[in-house]
Amino acid sequence: MNAIYDVVIIGGGVSGMMAAISLAEKGRKVAVISKGDPVCCFSTGCIDVLADGDDPLKGIGSLPDNHPYHLVGEEAVAHSLELFRGIMSDGGMPYVGEVHANRKVLASLGRCKITCLVPETMAFSAFDPDEYLHVVSFYKMKDFYPQYITSRYANAGYSVFDAQVTTTAGIAEKFENRPFLETFISWLQGLDIPEGRIAIPAVLGRSLAGDVYHEISAGCGRKIFEIPTLPPSMPGLRLFDILKKALLQKGVNLYWGRGIYSVEKLGNQIEAVTLAGAGRATRVEGKAFILASGSFVSGGLHASMDAVTETVFDLPTYLPGGRETWFNDDFFAAGHEIEKAGVRVDSSFRPVDTKIENLYVCGSILAFSEVMKYRCGHGMAIATGVAAAEACGGPV
Amino acid sequence: MEFDFQHCIRCTVCVANCPVFKVDTNFPGPKQSGPDAERFRSDNEASVDRWVQLCSQCKRCDVACPYGVNPAQIILREQTRYGEGHFRPFAYRLFANNYWLGALNSMIAPVVNLMTPRMFVKRVLHLFGISTSIPLPQYRVHSMNRSWRWKGRRRSRKKVVFFYGCFINYNRPDIGRGVRDLLASLGVRVVIPRQVCCGLPALGNGDIATARKFARKNARILAGYIDRGYDVIYTCTSCGLSLTQDYPGILGVPEGKKISENTYNLHEYILKLVEQEYIKPTFEPLHRKVAYHIPCHLRALGIGYPAVRLFEKIPGLEVHILEDNCCGLAGSYGFKKKHEETSARLCADAVRAIKAVGPDILVSDCGACKMQLGYFSGIPAVDPSEIVRESLRNTREGKRAKGDSRL
Repeated sequence: MNAIYDVVIIGGGVSGMMAAISLAEKGRKVAVISKGDPVCCFSTGCIDVLADGDDPLKGIGSLPDNHPYHLVGEEAVAHSLELFRGIMSDGGMPYVGEVHANRKVLASLGRCKITCLVPETMAFSAFDPDEYLHVVSFYKMKDFYPQYITSRYANAGYSVFDAQVTTTAGIAEKFENRPFLETFISWLQGLDIPEGRIAIPAVLGRSLAGDVYHEISAGCGRKIFEIPTLPPSMPGLRLFDILKKALLQKGVNLYWGRGIYSVEKLGNQIEAVTLAGAGRATRVEGKAFILASGSFVSGGLHASMDAVTETVFDLPTYLPGGRETWFNDDFFAAGHEIEKAGVRVDSSFRPVDTKIENLYVCGSILAFSEVMKYRCGHGMAIATGVAAAEACGGPV
Repeated sequence: MEFDFQHCIRCTVCVANCPVFKVDTNFPGPKQSGPDAERFRSDNEASVDRWVQLCSQCKRCDVACPYGVNPAQIILREQTRYGEGHFRPFAYRLFANNYWLGALNSMIAPVVNLMTPRMFVKRVLHLFGISTSIPLPQYRVHSMNRSWRWKGRRRSRKKVVFFYGCFINYNRPDIGRGVRDLLASLGVRVVIPRQVCCGLPALGNGDIATARKFARKNARILAGYIDRGYDVIYTCTSCGLSLTQDYPGILGVPEGKKISENTYNLHEYILKLVEQEYIKPTFEPLHRKVAYHIPCHLRALGIGYPAVRLFEKIPGLEVHILEDNCCGLAGSYGFKKKHEETSARLCADAVRAIKAVGPDILVSDCGACKMQLGYFSGIPAVDPSEIVRESLRNTREGKRAKGDSRL
């Protein structure tokens, strides 16, 4: 099927979806192609902007000159985060927090994670260690051990509820059903918990999480919050669900579950991409293309023993040096050199050292992004996604 | 394909997308029943994974997997291996031969339609492990295979073979005849040759031999037409998936590749006609609020949602796309007593999503989705082709004249 779009976006992650939404809002005809569900499904759902310092936006100034944040600029980063917030609250999961302030979120091993915007269900996650913390767990729930958390705090306790299922997906599904929710609330009310906050692993439903959360809060009259879990991570899935729903609502066409197997060029323009899969090849034609295929985990970049290649258009990539320089001896140290690998772009997000004119690049595939080191994952994805969409403008 | 499972990085995105895993604690999920267990399986050893039968083959995991593992394909292979090596209960045998069941029921449709709602008949069905939580579909005597076998001008430049599928054939031939007339009115020559079941029900019920028999027969017929310049059109998304994915894949039909390359979804085909400027239809406004429940197998086809792109052209039509839920019926899956609870809970989730939209009508390509969701939501469920046809209805004669002049 031939389809002519103003912009074709390759990659259905946070960056690609944000680019698609901001283009669709301007009335452009947009398609998103994705091999599968993105890595944000495994994430905590929190938006890390920059973990250094109290104000993530101020921190941007002290980043190395080649970091992609500089291409966006402080003001535009803040603007794109607000755009994101608007989408999420329309989708029923408002995000709280200030774009100018970092905050803490309790993680499942009891340590705190530094992030910026958090879903409403984690609003009360930043707590005073002197305050009493009560962790609610579920009987035999996989990969969640309340003792890890309570052992770190002097003033904490836990109790266990038997949900009859042990998986996050299973418990989340049960919470969306009234009788189960009511049983849980009355069980919670029956507990003799000292004054303080209540933490529950992030299993309070998937599509109805907002309602479930408010109902439980109202039911027990306490400040409750969710603790992000290992994948399948409900907050990450909710983030993905809401963004995807927004795409569909705004008339974006999705080609899901199919990779790209060939690219057609005419002179310096990319004309179309062809999708791989069973059956007839689907050809998707576009006037401009945005590459948001992600880094190594997402398959946007591929590392062989001595080279890093870009997997869709075979764009030139930046490499920090020979393989011996890629990794730090200390595995857990912040920042391995290989994280700098990626596609270099000019000030309008077009890849450098290539003749292609109608291609723009955003998200973690960008060189020098060093997402793990600066802990700027979703924030950078959102900011560069919106900025790349702005730069490409979507030719009419 | 054989070693695809080794690409699995255990990210669990398939598990997060699995409807059955969400509600049925006995099913270990696509990751464990697919790639994880695959490394312990050997063709020299009998299949022992009884729980692979709990998979409904909705293929949501295949769509979600970013690493090309395709857990549902791995599970499907194991399901057929398990089916070959074990006794298959009556319900499985019956549904595998859905085609013959339909042929028989259609012949004596008035009797069948009168009998199935009766309590004693239901009791007998329960004894055989068949669920009656939704009324069994009504059968029609004037089935598709007893309708006109062609329509449209013989010398038309666009020629198609319509693969209607069992549900349209025996239960809703009106949809099939509508599709035939719609295509003919767009200046397309439609031929409806004799055909059998696509084979998917047999495959899903662990009977690969029967599935192959059906597939070979269809393949010979369809390939013959393709050689003479015809394209194949389907509306049932499960039949479509079977033709494009299973024929060249697990069923290993020699003509499979040819068929999969020349097979189109109805709406995809109409869009193609519009984009090639073969037709310039004027869509009449329809003032309706529509909830479009995307069938799992339409997602799996990876062609996007072509009907939505046609709906966009219809003024006044308000479309809400719902693609996060499986209706739970999944062909014959929900008609088995042992899956009744799973099916009901999945359906409840899907119905809730539909009701949240508050639509006038419910649209879905899949016969099973229409039956299940239409019954439980109480909202009339129609095929997308009916909407397109309604919008084009009044202008049809005009279009036909225009179409002819272009020939």
